[in-house]
Amino acid sequence: MPPETSTSSAGGKEGSSGPSSKKNSKKPKYSKFSQQELPAWKPILTPGWVISIFAFTGIIFIPIGLASLYASEKVVELPFQYDQKCIPSEYSNNAEAYIKSTTTNKTCTATFKVEKTMKSPIYVYYQLTNYFQNHRRYVKSKSEDQLRQKSAEEDTDDCKPEARTPDGQPIVPCGLIAWSLFNDTYKIKVKGKHLKISKKNIAWQSDQTKKFGSDVYPKNFQAGGLIGGAKLNESIPLSGQEDLIVWMRTAALSTFRKLYGKIETDLEANEELSLVIENNYNTYSFGGKKTLVLSTATWIGGKNDFLGLAYIFIGGLSLFFAVCFLLMYLFKPR
Amino acid sequence: MSGWERVRTSSSSSSRSPHGMGSNAFRELPNRIPSSRTIQLGRVQPQAPGHRTVFCNDRDANLPVRFKGNSISTTKYNVFTFLPKALFEQFRRVANLYFLTISILSTTPISPVSPITNVAPLSLVLLISLMKEAFEDSKRFQNDLAVNNNLIDVLQDQKWVSMPWKRVQVGDVIRVKQDGFFPADLLCLASTNPDGVCYIETSNLDGETNLKIRKALEKTWDYLTPEKASEFKGEVQCEQPNNSLYTFTGNLIFQKQTLPLSPNQLLLRGCSLRNTEYVVGVVIFTGQETKVMMNTMNVPSKRSTLERKLDKLILALFATLFVMCLLGAIGSGIFVSNKYFYLRPNAGDEGSGQFNPGNRLLVITLTMFTLITLYSSIIPISLYVSIEMIKFIQCTQFINKDLRMYHSETNTPALARTSNLNEELGQVEYIFSDKTGTLTRNLMEFFKCSIGGEIYGNGITEIERGLAERNGIKIQENRSANVVQEKGFNFDDARLMRGAWRNEPNPDSCKEFFRCLAICHTVLPEGDESPEKIRYQAASPDEAALVIAAKNFGFFFYRRTPTSIYVRESHVEKMGKIQDVSYEILNVLEFNSTRKRQSVVCRHPDGRLVLYCKGADSVIYERLADGYNDIKKVTRNHLERFGSSGLRTLCLAYKELPPDLYESWNEKFIHAKSSLRDREKKLDEVAELVENGLVLIGCTAIEDKLQEGVPTTIETLQRAGIKIWVLTGDKVETAINIAYACNLINNEMKQFVISSETDVIREAEERGDQVEIAHVIKEEVKRELKNCLEEAQSCLSSLSGPKLALVIDGKCLMYALDPSLRVMLLNLSLNCHAVVCCRVSPLQKAQVTSLVKKGARKITLSIGDGANDVSMIQAAHVGVGISGLEGMQAVMASDFAIAQFRYLADLLLVHGRWSYLRICKVVTYFFYKNLTFTLIQFWFTFQTGFSGQRFYDDWFQSLYNVIFTALPVIMVGLFDKDVSASLSVKYPELYMEGIRNVFFKWRVVAIWAFFSVYQSLILYYFVSTASLTAKNSAGLTFGVWDVSTLAFTCVVITVNLRFLMICNSITKWHIISVGGSILSWFIFAFIYCAIIGKGNTYFVIYDLMSTIYFYLSIIFVPVVALFGDFVYQGIQRWFFPYDYQIVQETHRHEVEGTSRARLLEIENQLTPAEARSYAISQLPREISKHTGFAFDSPGYESFFASQLGVYAPQKAWDVARRASAKTKPKVHRKNDS
Repeated sequence: MPPETSTSSAGGKEGSSGPSSKKNSKKPKYSKFSQQELPAWKPILTPGWVISIFAFTGIIFIPIGLASLYASEKVVELPFQYDQKCIPSEYSNNAEAYIKSTTTNKTCTATFKVEKTMKSPIYVYYQLTNYFQNHRRYVKSKSEDQLRQKSAEEDTDDCKPEARTPDGQPIVPCGLIAWSLFNDTYKIKVKGKHLKISKKNIAWQSDQTKKFGSDVYPKNFQAGGLIGGAKLNESIPLSGQEDLIVWMRTAALSTFRKLYGKIETDLEANEELSLVIENNYNTYSFGGKKTLVLSTATWIGGKNDFLGLAYIFIGGLSLFFAVCFLLMYLFKPR
Repeated sequence: MSGWERVRTSSSSSSRSPHGMGSNAFRELPNRIPSSRTIQLGRVQPQAPGHRTVFCNDRDANLPVRFKGNSISTTKYNVFTFLPKALFEQFRRVANLYFLTISILSTTPISPVSPITNVAPLSLVLLISLMKEAFEDSKRFQNDLAVNNNLIDVLQDQKWVSMPWKRVQVGDVIRVKQDGFFPADLLCLASTNPDGVCYIETSNLDGETNLKIRKALEKTWDYLTPEKASEFKGEVQCEQPNNSLYTFTGNLIFQKQTLPLSPNQLLLRGCSLRNTEYVVGVVIFTGQETKVMMNTMNVPSKRSTLERKLDKLILALFATLFVMCLLGAIGSGIFVSNKYFYLRPNAGDEGSGQFNPGNRLLVITLTMFTLITLYSSIIPISLYVSIEMIKFIQCTQFINKDLRMYHSETNTPALARTSNLNEELGQVEYIFSDKTGTLTRNLMEFFKCSIGGEIYGNGITEIERGLAERNGIKIQENRSANVVQEKGFNFDDARLMRGAWRNEPNPDSCKEFFRCLAICHTVLPEGDESPEKIRYQAASPDEAALVIAAKNFGFFFYRRTPTSIYVRESHVEKMGKIQDVSYEILNVLEFNSTRKRQSVVCRHPDGRLVLYCKGADSVIYERLADGYNDIKKVTRNHLERFGSSGLRTLCLAYKELPPDLYESWNEKFIHAKSSLRDREKKLDEVAELVENGLVLIGCTAIEDKLQEGVPTTIETLQRAGIKIWVLTGDKVETAINIAYACNLINNEMKQFVISSETDVIREAEERGDQVEIAHVIKEEVKRELKNCLEEAQSCLSSLSGPKLALVIDGKCLMYALDPSLRVMLLNLSLNCHAVVCCRVSPLQKAQVTSLVKKGARKITLSIGDGANDVSMIQAAHVGVGISGLEGMQAVMASDFAIAQFRYLADLLLVHGRWSYLRICKVVTYFFYKNLTFTLIQFWFTFQTGFSGQRFYDDWFQSLYNVIFTALPVIMVGLFDKDVSASLSVKYPELYMEGIRNVFFKWRVVAIWAFFSVYQSLILYYFVSTASLTAKNSAGLTFGVWDVSTLAFTCVVITVNLRFLMICNSITKWHIISVGGSILSWFIFAFIYCAIIGKGNTYFVIYDLMSTIYFYLSIIFVPVVALFGDFVYQGIQRWFFPYDYQIVQETHRHEVEGTSRARLLEIENQLTPAEARSYAISQLPREISKHTGFAFDSPGYESFFASQLGVYAPQKAWDVARRASAKTKPKVHRKNDS
């Protein structure tokens, strides 16, 4: 029994100590990864860096802020809050009764002055407060399928409690959102002449074309005992009901603005506008304010001083910090 | 063949009734199997009642009993049990269980989110975890497969047939060749060695590398050849399988005789055969039933301290969640009202109960559940799986593959055996180290000597080198060209070599010195009687080193008989003359720990009677003859010099005995030797009579070879704020010696020695009353502790007080660990810079470890190499085993295995520190990103009438954690480096940040939480407040989903940018992951929003991106959100920098070299404090009395005995007896009687 052969029967652990140890070397292979030597940039937040980053932020932000603010300043916005004004004095303590009553005259007129020239297009908004369009019960109370296609008419599961008429017919469009559609209307007269308020293209294109079907017509809508809001013309498909489309893009906060229409003529400064408001919508029960807003728009959208000011503020703060750190660096270096 | 027939009948009866057999056999052997005290490494396993009967060489006969096969399986799962078992494991985690509950909850109508929000992340997390489990288990399976398929020779039809291990069965006769592993527990039948002896190495079991002897029963010696072996028919009756490695009881019934079996005949699986061509054995226990497999402990799964703290964080998050939900729920109870007619709160439809003001309590309760579902994202579900992945990669890719921790000599890379303790390595404050094999190589080398007042040997020890280097002296090592270098001999001085000693001032002393080395020992030569090939078997490596030294000096000890020692002496009478001389050994006065010396009385060929003695200086000096004061003084100086350089010293002395004096003494000696009572004591007394009036020859200095780099590593670790305790089974002197050699203790330190070797205790012990001994020792220890503590306090109170060191021995420790004294011990030891515990049993090692772990609540690490360290390794937070040459037991119990002690520096200072840093960042970042994300949702809740309306789309929310923010955090877990590896070692002080847990304090978490709140407010309000007016030039306004998508985009960008701010180093992977995460969000949004009618977010991203406002926001909001963090970071770095930040900036301009230069070796700049302490150390001072007595013999104290807590009586002469038995067994017996 030559002893040389004995190594062959040795266990696995023993194999490495034989003459074949080179082959069995357990030496790890070198790689930058496993040796943790990957080339790396080592940013160190030294005072120099801090100062330059602050300065850079300031230098970038202030111009952007100024540009935004300028754009925002160019926007002319005319708000007119009418929820209290449109309550006749005898109902001033009982606005809810007034608004709920079917017999009272809801028409209300008012005049106000254009302070600055407004170039067309002028957007007409209604603004509601304390209205929780983002409430969980409210948001989910609609049927996307039903809105989109006629075949899904019966798909009203999410729409409770406004899913079906008492006799089981599906309501189209179903759900609380559609049911509570805003139904105040506005007419604006300039120098006794009616301004045309266009209802075209007041909704996002994507909603209009993809979310609301062109073959879906309102059905059994506001036919129940409780009337929540506006009624819909049953001959116009949902994709054409832009008021509904706008309303159904639920707002993020309880104070929101929705587009009512567009005025395609310019308004001169100091012109007297007379408004004819059909004050139908009940916000009185929960104390919501109603405001009519006329506004122009620029590249930044509507009036939005906040963004510009914030930019300028942060830019200024950055510069302030840059200067502070610089002074500290100069007078009290580490 | 009558025995054979007996077996036959018994087997045939058994085949008829397998159940009856056991009772049959039992009746035949009443009480033949004594119950034995079981000693094992792990838990105590009750022995199965009864016993097993194995029919050797007869598979058919063994068939009915159905012994288990020899294949082993260490896998956790199989194909069928995988899914249920692994899933069960997963759901034992609170976070997973929570998400399962939430997922179920989200299928109910009260949920504001669709189930997908919670199911998607949960299933992804589970999938990854299960994949990892499957991968690990398959690796185990493959290991098993490889082991099971090893080949072994099995006897079949008078031939050895090679077959895989797994097909070996109980009762098979197999042959194991040299260096082969035993495939199962075998009964040794025969060996190629003459008297049935074979040598085995048990390092896999207990870590001991010295060979153990197993001896076959004399009756079976002949069954060596296959032809003969096939005739072997016997029956083994033995105990049932158990996990006790050191016991075995059974009988071999063979040729009508019942032969008792003992552990001596048992060859255990896991051991390997050495120095024996082959052995033949019968398989007794197989596979899972082998002792080693029964002994595989489930390594107690350890969780890192950081992870436990993480649990607290998760709990805090749960609490936060609860508070948030409660606030929201109460809000909803207040909000609900009939005035919001458009909500139709009282419509009475299914689900309206939650909004009906008629029952506000119901509203609150239901909203509570709604909100819990809604805010579930606050619990970072993917945190655990991410950490697991990170740690897994850290282990397998970084630790296991680190070239700096690869030991090429033993071909051993580092090995992380558990992957969940990486960051624990970065917080270790106490290291408990074994000595032998860990700090030292257990390799004694003859290094220097002093003969007749003259020092020989030019070597420089590590400690001298270290000291010199610190003082700025470069040491030139000019070794002579013709140095003899062999294992055990590292001596460089031409004056003594090749007979040159004849020209030295006192050649006679030299001659006696060498003779003493060659004669006075208990070494046994093995192998060829030539200087090159001879191998010395010695009980202690010191002895071997001394004999090897004698050999190299020309006094070659080559043969031992019971009566004589043969020495081939060169150059004695004249240069170049070689002669064989035999010395008759008349008496041997054994070494033991009280005598601390060993003597041999021998008769020279010329008839002179000489007593040679070697021993500790303290005992030798007492017994020296008067006069020779010069030499005594000089030699004492030398001893002290040797001692302080970390060498182990022995004094050599001799004495000529007048024949008449000897005869009278010898009578007493024989009388003592044959006495039946107190033989040891009487022998000691007799020895005392002759061991006096000695003539000092000189002293030897043996280097207990330290592992490479130990002193430097210890120094580095100490600078890192780690306190190192050495726990060793050695004697006090040796332990102190090593502590000196390792730089753990030096002469400037104040040493407290609490030893049981005091007169008071010894006296008590002599009286022998156990109760009294205990009482005395306890009182002594208490008194000592009190004194030490007082002194320590006075030292600590003075500013420039010396550092403290405590040395305590096992016996005292036993009492000091008593609950009443434990606090004092802890107080004292925590104040000490270094602690050395000597003569401690494995159990005590564990006790000391847990004393610090539990008593002081510090993070502990134990490092060791042998089986006696297992308990300590398991007791500590982190257990490190030394792998490589030594055994496997410690490694098997450890969490990390490294080849060398010095790799500990890399393991802790580099890997540990980085892991800690990284995991801290991962955890805090996870916490931050989920909190920020959820808080935004929380703020939104306030504006939705507390209805629990979700802010984010379902899919956005579910993918936030698993896609849009998942990858970067992994990158930081893998790649973040504050300072390079070399700087980490160069500035060990950085490690203290981990010990103090700087990066994962509640304060740190609070800062993150603060900025999380700040950011969420910015993110939510900046995005939502500006949503009122038109957002594009067409006058169109945003809806809720536009705002939320914009906010979500901002969150993803902010959180990813915030991630970049926590990175110390940014690799391309950081950029790719951050860029990829943000990009993946956009890509997902583009695709998701384009799917017609799917959800509320249809086309939202496109509408958003068509406005300028969107771009202005996503630039602005993240910048503002991060503004606060940036200011904080700038100020923190400027005014309150962390240590690592200072190092970063100091070395900012250095390119991190790819060269692997070890900065450890680069001369360190001394801090002023260090410089001062070294200057002080150079001042003239009282030289310590430390001389470093060396005669320690770990080999004497078997592990078996030390497990019991008792030290086995030393039987040095067993070696000699065995030697005699081998050569002349007859003579030996005559002599003995």
